[in-house]
Amino acid sequence: MAPKASSPGDLTTFNILHGLPEALVRGMRSSFLQDADYHHLTQCETLDDIRLNLSESDYADALADSATMTPASLQKAAIDKLVTEFKYLRTQTVEPLSTFMDFITYEYMIENVMLLLKGALSGRDINDLIEQCHPLGMFKESTMRSIPTFENSSKGYADLYQTVLVDTPVGPYFAVFLQETAQHRGSDARNVLEEVEIEIIKSSLIKYWLEDFTHFVEQLGGDTATIMGELLKVRADTNAINITLNSFGTPLNEPAMRAADRKRLYPAVGHLYPAGISMLVDVQDEEELGRVLELFPQYAAIWNMHAGGGGDKSIDDGFYERDVQMLELAFESQMHFAVFYAYVKLKEQEIRNLVWISECILQQQKDEINKFVPVFSHHCPWRGGKKH
Amino acid sequence: MADYQAVCKSEYCNAGWSEVLTHMSAYGWASFGVAFGLGLSIVGAAWGIWLTGSSLVGAAVKAPRIRSKNLISVIFCEATAIYGVIMAIILTNKIKEPENASDFLDNNWDYNGYYYAGYGMFSAGLSVGLTNIASGVSVGIAGSSCAIADAQDASLFVKILIVEIFASALGIFGIIVGIIQSNACTFPIAPLQ
Repeated sequence: MAPKASSPGDLTTFNILHGLPEALVRGMRSSFLQDADYHHLTQCETLDDIRLNLSESDYADALADSATMTPASLQKAAIDKLVTEFKYLRTQTVEPLSTFMDFITYEYMIENVMLLLKGALSGRDINDLIEQCHPLGMFKESTMRSIPTFENSSKGYADLYQTVLVDTPVGPYFAVFLQETAQHRGSDARNVLEEVEIEIIKSSLIKYWLEDFTHFVEQLGGDTATIMGELLKVRADTNAINITLNSFGTPLNEPAMRAADRKRLYPAVGHLYPAGISMLVDVQDEEELGRVLELFPQYAAIWNMHAGGGGDKSIDDGFYERDVQMLELAFESQMHFAVFYAYVKLKEQEIRNLVWISECILQQQKDEINKFVPVFSHHCPWRGGKKH
Repeated sequence: MADYQAVCKSEYCNAGWSEVLTHMSAYGWASFGVAFGLGLSIVGAAWGIWLTGSSLVGAAVKAPRIRSKNLISVIFCEATAIYGVIMAIILTNKIKEPENASDFLDNNWDYNGYYYAGYGMFSAGLSVGLTNIASGVSVGIAGSSCAIADAQDASLFVKILIVEIFASALGIFGIIVGIIQSNACTFPIAPLQ
């Protein structure tokens, strides 16, 4: 599925084609909020104070137009700013960096398609749904409007693929999904997908996207393959663990379903693949999951955080912290593509932080306000400081 | 000598490698030395300039203050090209044509000085050219990192500049050795008396 890519070049030749975009994204690194900014933000009393504080940061232009601020409007303005920067970077790139950046957007396209399908099922208005779509993964307006018009049945999905999705970059993932489900469920294509929930479709599409991206990155070779490969492996493992964890208490955890359906959701890349995945297939409760993860030291620590009674941090917080640590490391070396992926993901984390802080202030829950993961902070545990 | 006469009977035979090498004009060797010295130095300088220039332009978009300071990296790369030009000018001035035109050089020509000049200038050119490629690329990569780091933290500039100075010194080694090698080389212009 991935196109054959030329090498990005090593230390001596990378800058020919990709020196400018790489230097641009590294310049944008200085636009992240600092420890002092976060400190001021957590001291704010109202949302207008937050806006005042943000007017000195890089978000000044983004927030200048809005009259009053809510957490939702802050999130929208911040995401729009990220998308503008991403598109600016994308226009400066050439192959194979442009394909790499397109791969980053496919994830959001999958989310948008699923959002539109799910919204159609619950009968929401198409315009509201399009408003909610992530701007990085937009299709043409006409394509998006036609997605919810397909019926939620096997024939409907097949039609959806044939007429709409086949031309989009996420078409191949849908094709593989339809093919594999048809193979697996037997020859009767009519029954395909009737019981399958939207969540399973989404997990499968993300799995195919991860595998495709990993394959592409390994073709590129060099530092990009090393660093980006590591980031994607960790992402795949996070997905596998979350799928297992979320399946407890749902029909997916039945022994019959486990071997068949849940196994097919696990990505075929990652540190847990293949040995850990085959163990995860048989896991039926949290205790067994804990025992499997004990064998993998990098996940044992995060799991213990969750298993130790929840407390301050959930397992999602543990994953976010570990992700931020790895993504910051992508900025430590030059002449590779992983900085672009790291920039998008770290900016998303920053947006999550801003929304968390503003929600806490809106709801006057000051004791919860420090539960965010700052980016490029001097106080983070892996830089030797204590978390404030 | 008796052996080869038994082997080779044609009138075009030669006496082995020594005859091949001595029949290659020393002027040819010297001119190639000039070409290599100049050409390879320019390749190194250009390589370094586009390595550092692309990063400088990109990083300056978000941090315009780095524009002027980081041109020093480009100047270091340019210096390696200047070393090549200096060497080429020195060598070219030593290549002199004989006073009297003739098909063959006289028997009492200063063949020692003649061959010494040819080989010496060739090796001087290679010394300068190859060291300047290495120096240029090295300064370029260090300059690229310097521009990006300076955009984040202005105090890093001077520290990384020291790395570039060391990289630039490699080119100086080349030209010093090249000058020493080519110092005693001059082409004779008249037969020995």
